[in-house]
Amino acid sequence: MKILRLLPLLLAAAASTTFAGEHVYAPYTELYVRECASCHLAYPPELMTAPGWKRVMSQLDRHFGSDASLDTPTRDGVAAFLAQRASSREKHAPSENSARISKTVWFVREHGTAPPPKISFANCSACHTRAEQADFNERSLRLPAGFRHSERD
Amino acid sequence: MKLPILSALTLVLTGFASHAAATTAREYQATLVAEARAGDAAFQGFSAARGDTFFHQRHNGDWSCATCHTDNPAASGLHAVTHKTIRPLAPAANAERFTSPEKIEKWFKRNCNDVLKRACTAREKGDLIDFLLTVKP
Ligand code: HEC
Ligand code: HEC
Ligand code: HEC
Repeated sequence: MKILRLLPLLLAAAASTTFAGEHVYAPYTELYVRECASCHLAYPPELMTAPGWKRVMSQLDRHFGSDASLDTPTRDGVAAFLAQRASSREKHAPSENSARISKTVWFVREHGTAPPPKISFANCSACHTRAEQADFNERSLRLPAGFRHSERD
Repeated sequence: MKLPILSALTLVLTGFASHAAATTAREYQATLVAEARAGDAAFQGFSAARGDTFFHQRHNGDWSCATCHTDNPAASGLHAVTHKTIRPLAPAANAERFTSPEKIEKWFKRNCNDVLKRACTAREKGDLIDFLLTVKP
């Protein structure tokens, strides 16, 4: 019985710690997928800090050139999920007003600043073929022609 | 011991299900009539032809509805910025369309704002639904 109660906790812990080393960020909540994965894939909450997500969630009506507004209860639900799973490391802090993951120090170090022709860094699945499954492991990388990515750390 | 868990689960599930009563495109469209009439004394009913034009037309901006939903609403669309696939908008091609009033209104608000820089009127929405219902896969 105790184990049964603990199970969801254990699963959540496994998802956010054990798999993090392999860059797999699942599972997301149903709410997060429903509200944040209709225009693009669901971005891993772990790849930005809580202040970054707060910035994103406070300007949804002017969201990277699109209106992505939500009613207040839904917005608050998503914001709480993101805050809970957010990174606490400085390298994942936003570097500009709109708070892009693709502009954090970590992202730039891993990917450089020049995406391949006609591809936006925001389109993770252009290279990470299992990104829709929250899987960013190097094994599933397929690089587009013309992408010479910068130094590794 | 399983009971509390099960009943909690049931609560969660029924919570989702009863969140919004299901609707159909025609039922949703019917809710727009009074407002369309209030907005235009000469209102004679919705028009698929006007909806067709509205859907394909740019409204003083870069985008039309067809930019993301493609010229054929029975086909899959592609988001203009992110290139993510969008499932067909015509109910005949995608049975999930126009079944949740909350979802319909959320997207009208956003997409009308992006394309027209204002909210769509009840007549525009009703016309669009008339048009979408004529589209067969
Ligand atoms: C109405 C469409 C839409 C919805 C809904 C939406 N987004 Fe976006 N989002 C966009 C667009 C468009 C971009 C810009 C993509 C680009 O630059 O290629 C974007 C970009 C982003 C980025 C920056 C990606 C990068 O470059 O690192 C983040 C973070 C983001 N969205 C989070 C969210 C979250 C969280 C939600 C849910 C609350 C959400 N989005 C819902 C349209 C949307
Ligand atoms: C243009 C191709 C490309 C795009 C687009 C891209 N990535 Fe990457 N990503 C790479 C490459 C290449 C690496 C490997 C860097 C290295 O060798 O360490 C990488 C590494 C990663 C890693 C570390 C994986 C590991 O095993 O070390 C994560 C996490 C990641 N990317 C997330 C993202 C996210 C999130 C997005 C979208 C916001 C994104 N990437 C978009 C090419 C891309
Ligand atoms: C920038 C891209 C884009 C443009 C432009 C756009 N849409 Fe959409 N639309 C979307 C996306 C993304 C969804 C949600 C994805 C999904 O549900 O498959 C959506 C969903 C909808 C829905 C929800 C229907 C339902 O019940 O599921 C309606 C209604 C809609 N759009 C109408 C319009 C109208 C009317 C226009 C023109 C004024 C328009 N859209 C322009 C991207 C766009």
